[in-house]
Amino acid sequence: MLQPRPTLGAPSPYTFPKPRRLRVGGGTVVAIDVPRQPYASIRLVQPAGGVNEPLEHMGVAALTNEALEDGVRGNSSLAPALERHGADWISRVTWDSFVTGVDAPANRINDAVSLFAEAVRAPALRPDDVVRRRDQLVERFWLEASVASTLAARAIGGQLFTGRYATPLSGGPARLQELTPEAVADFHAGSIAAVAGTLVVVGDLSDVDLEELGKTVFGDADPTPSPSTSAPGSAPGELPRIVVLDRPGSVQSALILAHRAPARSEIDLPRADGMSDVLGGMFTSRLNMELRERLGYTYGVGCRFDLRRDSGVFLLSTQVEAPTTAHSVTATLGEIERLQADGVTESELAAVRESNTVGLPVSYSTARSLAGALVEAVIHDLPEDHVDRLRAGFERITSEDLHEAAREYLHPRDSVVIVAGDAKEVAGPLEETGFGPVTVHDPETLWT
Amino acid sequence: MATNGAVGQIGQFTLDNGLRLVTAPAATGQVAAVNLWYGVGSRHEVPGRTGFAHLFEHLMFQGSGNVSKGAHFDAVERLGGDINASTSTDRTNYYETVPEHALDLALWLEADRLATLREGMTQEVLDNQRDVVKNERRQRYDNVPYGTAFERILRLGYPEGHPYHHSTIGSMADLDAADLDYVLSFHERHYGPDNLVLTVVSDLDPGDVHERVKRYFGGIPAREVAAEAPDAALEGPIGGPFRETVTEPVPAPAVFLGYRVAPYGDREFDVMSLTSAILGQGQGSRLYRRLVVERGLANDDGGASADLLPFRYTPSLMLVSMIAREGVSGDELEAAILEEVAALADGVTEEELERARAVLERDHLQSVSTPGGLADSLGSHTQLFDDPGLVYTWPQRWAEISTDDIVAAAKRILTAENRLAVRFEPESQSETAEA
Repeated sequence: MLQPRPTLGAPSPYTFPKPRRLRVGGGTVVAIDVPRQPYASIRLVQPAGGVNEPLEHMGVAALTNEALEDGVRGNSSLAPALERHGADWISRVTWDSFVTGVDAPANRINDAVSLFAEAVRAPALRPDDVVRRRDQLVERFWLEASVASTLAARAIGGQLFTGRYATPLSGGPARLQELTPEAVADFHAGSIAAVAGTLVVVGDLSDVDLEELGKTVFGDADPTPSPSTSAPGSAPGELPRIVVLDRPGSVQSALILAHRAPARSEIDLPRADGMSDVLGGMFTSRLNMELRERLGYTYGVGCRFDLRRDSGVFLLSTQVEAPTTAHSVTATLGEIERLQADGVTESELAAVRESNTVGLPVSYSTARSLAGALVEAVIHDLPEDHVDRLRAGFERITSEDLHEAAREYLHPRDSVVIVAGDAKEVAGPLEETGFGPVTVHDPETLWT
Repeated sequence: MATNGAVGQIGQFTLDNGLRLVTAPAATGQVAAVNLWYGVGSRHEVPGRTGFAHLFEHLMFQGSGNVSKGAHFDAVERLGGDINASTSTDRTNYYETVPEHALDLALWLEADRLATLREGMTQEVLDNQRDVVKNERRQRYDNVPYGTAFERILRLGYPEGHPYHHSTIGSMADLDAADLDYVLSFHERHYGPDNLVLTVVSDLDPGDVHERVKRYFGGIPAREVAAEAPDAALEGPIGGPFRETVTEPVPAPAVFLGYRVAPYGDREFDVMSLTSAILGQGQGSRLYRRLVVERGLANDDGGASADLLPFRYTPSLMLVSMIAREGVSGDELEAAILEEVAALADGVTEEELERARAVLERDHLQSVSTPGGLADSLGSHTQLFDDPGLVYTWPQRWAEISTDDIVAAAKRILTAENRLAVRFEPESQSETAEA
């Protein structure tokens, strides 16, 4: 009745589309044409992320980013203007970048970009609007932190770093509350309005004049300065340790194991990501198979590297039924230990190699994902064929490489385990794991 | 968007066993998006068996006659493919996007679990996935603020015993009660090629795709007996106003309002889609402008405070929800929302209507702009309306609706009699201390 399982033929060779690149005024346009793609993704990348903020104005990038949505007429006027063109405002701040843009129907790119350019270069930034956005951001900080996984994630920086990274990207509620409309206006004038940046355009470009688009967005803004980096300091305190963020009555614990990692430019990505895939990056990873598919403790578990220009973080996160919290920690440590001791299997090696090579047409099957790869290249000064270089790196990878990466990049003894859960239930068993000292904190005292 | 040309490129085939196949071209090369819509969802569940369609979705990844536990996921992940599944009231959806050369393998994996799932099912697998789903429930419902709002809304919106009275996640007690025999019979009753729409979006020739699908699925017999869904007929308004207030450790008061509207696919549903966009979708919407920007009563959700739950086989629900700002009570926020809802009956402008159309069209176009999204929409429109071409023509339905239509619908539908309200209130400090 059923056919035999088909044998896979050879995949077609994949090459990341070569972007068109042109200098326009003080900026650069990088574009990929995707004929028939009905939606286009347009992004402006500027080096004005959280790490570039003055310490006394932590959160100003996030607030400025938010305030741009008030548009050139103020009063939240940008989104409605874009909505009429079927376009969507896209914006985010990372530690290293300030990214704005639109997703728009291919036949409305020019209209949408005009509105977008105006909003980025000449927003009203009315004091009333900025104060409203600021107060909303502060309240939203606590709304979001009422979710256990968000609470735990926001505590990572303070456990691993001193300086800017010790406070969440948005600045934390206390610092955010101190920001003034003048601080936002200064940040915008100096780091956004005056800086040309790089414009990424992906979509059906048959009716698009890229040079004109560049002129519209860059105007007479100055060329983008090269960002400087220096490694951040480490947070004080004994390592490893366990930090419980008390959330009375939690039926689940949000659990994160985190430690410092090299910067983006200092890490060998195929080895590091490949190893991370085996440990927790894939559905079929060791941790997911153990914590979810064998023990039934969780709905899912994952791990990844969060890599910045000057440093990085390795983090492993899951949410487990409260009574299984301590055993989830020891089971996780056990999997790390096994990976470091024994390395990977041939089957795991093949999965890593194949998924990161033959899967590229799937990864880059949308305008958004293609634009995402270009944005990453801009932020980290990567060559335009960086996707192909990564693919080549994964094609060459060996099981020894992954084994070595597990020993080089995983440091459980230098980790902090953060648990957002019911301290009354989980602190005692966590002590008993012997992993390290356990301290309990009231989440409301973390960012005052 | 060139709708006529696009509709013309849709391929439709029906196999002898009843399987409906839909094909369409992808915008980028070298990929194949495979999407399966089985016509079974939580509406097929009966009291005491809630959560079963969704639990079953998990079991479909746990091994079958020729594929061991987890190996389906493993095979697709190795290809760098996207893979997942979801369950709603009206269907269960399985999907994967793979590199084009792996289409045959994806089809075979899907055919295998359709034909032989019962051969691979064990008590151990059932026990494990029951635990996983219970953790999913904790993660999405029980351990997050306002997490139980949705199931409370359904309980108020649909009477006891009605197939839409419960949420797809089900209750912990019912999940505990699930037994292996029921798993096997559920597969037999609901999982047949005659209950399946299979969609493939790729650059391959439609005839070629048809041949491949015939090869892998053609030998699987249709169900001997097609399962019938419980009666979901429902007339008239909710019969409210109904209200439930929940005091929990939430960070701020929250208001959730629901109104019963026509089933998904009816013209009245389209009218209410536009109404909800005018009211609460986007930063140009009334609720955002009035309650977030001007009056500062509600938390900034970016303009996502109103939407429709699209139920095909029973009246749908229009939902309105907002979270209060600091110092604003739930009563004050609810009254302010109700004011804006009531104002719809006083009139809407052409400009508001145009903005609403643009917002809905944008969302629609974005959802079909990826291979996986297009495959999902084609499957949906075929399973629910037997017309995949609707994917490209759906926005035209909004073009014919006028401001008068919206005002008339608002007067008729957005009434106290047709309203449910779920309110969340934070525990006071003293209550917390006593607990």
